[in-house]
Amino acid sequence: MKTICRATGQFLKEVRRDLERPHQFAAERVGFISVRAANTSENIVLMAEGYHPVADNDYVDDPTVGAMMSQEAIRKALNIALLQSVGMFHVHMHEHNGRPNFSRTDLREQMKFVPDFFKVCRNLPHGAIVLSCDSATGRVWFNSTAVADISEFNIVDTPMKVDILNSNGNVDTFA
Amino acid sequence: MMAQSDFSRQSFLGQHSEQTLADTRATIVGLGGGGSHIAQQLAHLGVGRIRLIDPQEIDNSNLNRLVGATAKDVEEKTPKVKIAERLIKGIRPWIEVDVAQADWQNADDLIKDSHVLFGCVDGYRQRMYLESAARRFCLPYIDIGMDVTHLTDEQYAIAGQMIMTLPGGPCMRCMGFLTQERLEREENDYGDAGINPQVVWTNGTLASLAVGQFVRLFTPWFDGSRQFEWLELDGNNQFVARSRQPDYAIRGPCSHFPQTHLGDPFFELKG
Repeated sequence: MKTICRATGQFLKEVRRDLERPHQFAAERVGFISVRAANTSENIVLMAEGYHPVADNDYVDDPTVGAMMSQEAIRKALNIALLQSVGMFHVHMHEHNGRPNFSRTDLREQMKFVPDFFKVCRNLPHGAIVLSCDSATGRVWFNSTAVADISEFNIVDTPMKVDILNSNGNVDTFA
Repeated sequence: MMAQSDFSRQSFLGQHSEQTLADTRATIVGLGGGGSHIAQQLAHLGVGRIRLIDPQEIDNSNLNRLVGATAKDVEEKTPKVKIAERLIKGIRPWIEVDVAQADWQNADDLIKDSHVLFGCVDGYRQRMYLESAARRFCLPYIDIGMDVTHLTDEQYAIAGQMIMTLPGGPCMRCMGFLTQERLEREENDYGDAGINPQVVWTNGTLASLAVGQFVRLFTPWFDGSRQFEWLELDGNNQFVARSRQPDYAIRGPCSHFPQTHLGDPFFELKG
């Protein structure tokens, strides 16, 4: 089973524009993309529905990382998942062209908060996405312990962009 | 198998266009006069995965326009999707073809993860439903259709259209193509030169416009920066022009498809 993530070009343009804004002390900005989903016999398709930037005062001043969200930022994101029954994907941006990669810090921090979304919305996948100026990489959780790479990004725009990652769609499970 | 293909004559479509097209999943709903032409052209282009949906079997009245069909198919009542599959496989055997002899509402599995949806259905209401599905699964939608209108005595007007819409952009209702008046009129009478008149050359022209639009959307051959397209075919005078209707009809962002109406309405994670 592969996971396809789909968004309009205009939507991603607005997300990037927001993430590029400087913050008073954080080195980068973060937010959440809410998604709805569809099943096929082979794949799961995630469709970006909304963007929820982390508010300026919901950052913690931590110079050891690019951006640290406060508990309040996570609480607000959990609230959206609960009330709107949507999947929530943490998003940040690396300002270069080409395929971005999650840093070790990104991977460590995701493990701390992404599984919590299944406590409030267990029927939808949640995860994390990192954007570059022209590409993206993502990880998707199917429950609190099963995670896989997003296999394909579709940017619906003119021109249409189909970005197929070298992913076999395998799911890694961890305790 | 891809290595045996020679796409040199279409290399102007872009350095990576061969791979882009081979990676593309395209779904065609309706494999009659228009859809069969599109299936054939997508196979020639080298689209790697083609999904075909149509509930019908061929009958004798289809033979005037259904590309790839034979008299034997009529005798054997071959499903239209099977004729299109045979046509595609005959051109490029490596193309993955998925078929559903069903109404598209019962085969949306073949739509959701596609990259583009071609609508070749009869009637305005079916178009409206199919565009709704494209919006729900965030897909470009390319629609073709033709109609024949009785003028006087033995005079008829042939007209058709190719429309492309994108999620987030104006829809066929925003553009003024799908109107309440047309939907109501259809309830009573769609076309007045017999039952849904269709001819091969008009179907072929419209299908070519649709495939051209698709290629423009997926390859860098030409700057296709428009968020929608509506080309009108005057079949009598044999010319195509961009419709002026959207210039007057579009009044701001699309309000017909709320952004929250995405995905399966009752999605459940499997396993």
